[in-house]
Amino acid sequence: MSFGRFLLKRTLQGVVVVWGVVTVVFLLRFITPGSPVDVVAPLDASPELRRQIARELGVDRPLYVQYFEYLAGLLRGDMGYSYLSGTEASARVFARLPATLELTVAATIVAVALSVPLGVISATRRHQPSDYAATTFSLLGISTPNFWLGIMLVLVLAVQFDVFPTSDRAFGFLESVGHLVVIAVDGPLVPPGEGTRLVVEFPLDVGAFGRTFTTWLSYIVLPAVTLGTYFTALITRLTRSGMLEELGQSYVQAARAKGLPETLVRYRHALRNTLIPVVTVVGLQMGTLIGGAVITEAVFDWPGLGTTVINAIQQRDWPILQGSLIVIGVGFVVVNIAVDAIYAYLNPRVVE
Amino acid sequence: MLSPRTLRNLKREFDRSALAKVGVALVALVVFVAVFAPLLAPHDPTAQSLDDKRLPPLGFSGTENQTTTERVNGTVQVVNETVTVNATADHPLGTNALGQDMLSRVIYGARTSLLVGLLGTLLAAVVGVPVGLVAGYVRGRVDDALMRSADVMLAFPSLVLAIALVGLWGRAAIRVPDPFVVAGLAPGMPRTFTLPGTVIVVVGLVNWVWFARVARGEALALRDEEYVKAARSLGASDPFVLRRHVLPNSATPILVLATIQVAAIVLLESALSYLGFSGTELSWGFDIAQGRDYLATAWWISTMPGIAIVLTVIGINLLGDWLRDALDPGIEGEGGGGA
Repeated sequence: MSFGRFLLKRTLQGVVVVWGVVTVVFLLRFITPGSPVDVVAPLDASPELRRQIARELGVDRPLYVQYFEYLAGLLRGDMGYSYLSGTEASARVFARLPATLELTVAATIVAVALSVPLGVISATRRHQPSDYAATTFSLLGISTPNFWLGIMLVLVLAVQFDVFPTSDRAFGFLESVGHLVVIAVDGPLVPPGEGTRLVVEFPLDVGAFGRTFTTWLSYIVLPAVTLGTYFTALITRLTRSGMLEELGQSYVQAARAKGLPETLVRYRHALRNTLIPVVTVVGLQMGTLIGGAVITEAVFDWPGLGTTVINAIQQRDWPILQGSLIVIGVGFVVVNIAVDAIYAYLNPRVVE
Repeated sequence: MLSPRTLRNLKREFDRSALAKVGVALVALVVFVAVFAPLLAPHDPTAQSLDDKRLPPLGFSGTENQTTTERVNGTVQVVNETVTVNATADHPLGTNALGQDMLSRVIYGARTSLLVGLLGTLLAAVVGVPVGLVAGYVRGRVDDALMRSADVMLAFPSLVLAIALVGLWGRAAIRVPDPFVVAGLAPGMPRTFTLPGTVIVVVGLVNWVWFARVARGEALALRDEEYVKAARSLGASDPFVLRRHVLPNSATPILVLATIQVAAIVLLESALSYLGFSGTELSWGFDIAQGRDYLATAWWISTMPGIAIVLTVIGINLLGDWLRDALDPGIEGEGGGGA
């Protein structure tokens, strides 16, 4: 099987899973006590008014009709309208998506950048102080609830020593970059999007972009570290044990015997083979990362999908909740297909 | 299930590894504290005392802003002053904003964490293991269908799904009479203990997939073993073969996974109760959330329960490492994960 066909097959499987996700999310409303009418109708609503509201929300029709209409709507990019504010659900969900993406990408960068070197150092200096330090760190990292870690970071670095802001997000990364672009093009103020408070000072100076970027960075450091720590610890553990196993293999001895420099043996041969199982586990754990993002957002009042989900649950705002859950599910499926592609690239045998 | 050889391996690894001893000691401590909570707690963990609110833990002092009125030369003046609050031996870990004793709450919180962790894992295994064994043993369409539905489950991060289900289904709680209090051994302690029922069901339901995956892998490998083939050719029925041969031989990796899962569910429970999606207020996550608003004045409210969670989960993880190293089922890295 060629790489392209492998990818096509995985994508088709992904489509089936996405369809399953949509179906589960849709059915969630029907296995939940209470009716959407209760969300909208006043407490003393007459039966007639309630019937009218049900008709307007479209929830009075048979389940299968609602299901197919919802599917058809999704294909057009229509997730319905918020029960409470009446705004388009898709607009709200996609306005919140960049904040969550930013946070998860930043956390992944933190995790990968720290964990692989830590794991390699730990494995190549086994039973030395740096190995003990790395294993202790990774044991602590997988055992600490990230919301508590976030609170402790806020306590020390924001409340005690005023290094970082305690919570919230000033504006998005693209806005901090876009700032520079807009300044370069025609100079006027960037229109702030939902939940953003980008202030551009005039007259503009060279440091303006730098300050915007630094502000952006100062807001994301604590949430990214909070979210990334569990992953850093997990990948460190996996890299260490995988590397130890690979370094004991006969092909490593053969490479050493033919006189390859130790760095080449370690990084070209052993590390590459170590990373194959690591990539699989990272893919499987992507759900943990997204779930972790939800609670990290709650700790830092980060205006992403996680806070949207929590609010939508509390308000029973079904279109928003369903839309957010579907976007999260689709994100997970896409990341996993990407992980499988990387896996196939690292280990061409799986394609066959 | 536990052959003499397995027991020997466990003992050898335990003697060899200092971390295994630490893990067993930590888990034993937490279990002891959870079981005997009413006898160990110095106060009723739910008793409020506004005179004693936000007392610092022993060895620390806190500050409170106090507003009093004072009559000076016939006019009333409002005086704002910062007073120092000293720790008392009566509340070694301090008190929270309602004046509840933190040590007692940390002790009772161990019960909630462990019960949810154990019962949730049990439920996940009861659902997931049969599904996985059948899928791996039968293969073909049944396997495809079951594994695809497992993929759908995995596409929802367990925390997100758990929040959604608990948030939507309500926070049902079961009140269980406390045997120590009923027997009159712990006067003044709460008569009942609250089990967060919905949370237990939900954490079980969102984590069954991990058991299904591991059980399926085992069944796939075992169905082609000689002794399984022999049993089949002698006319044994499939349910019999699954029960008699496949299940017992899958026990080791399932046991190791179960240990990791208890740790994952303890973390999941704390995250749920941090967000307010729980059926009980006697939970470490709930207390951490309570302390969030007092970080500047009473850091210990969030700090103490967090340390309890970390120690518990470290203990369970070390226990899991010990079992894995001693029994070597080769499933490192899989199985849920933290909140």
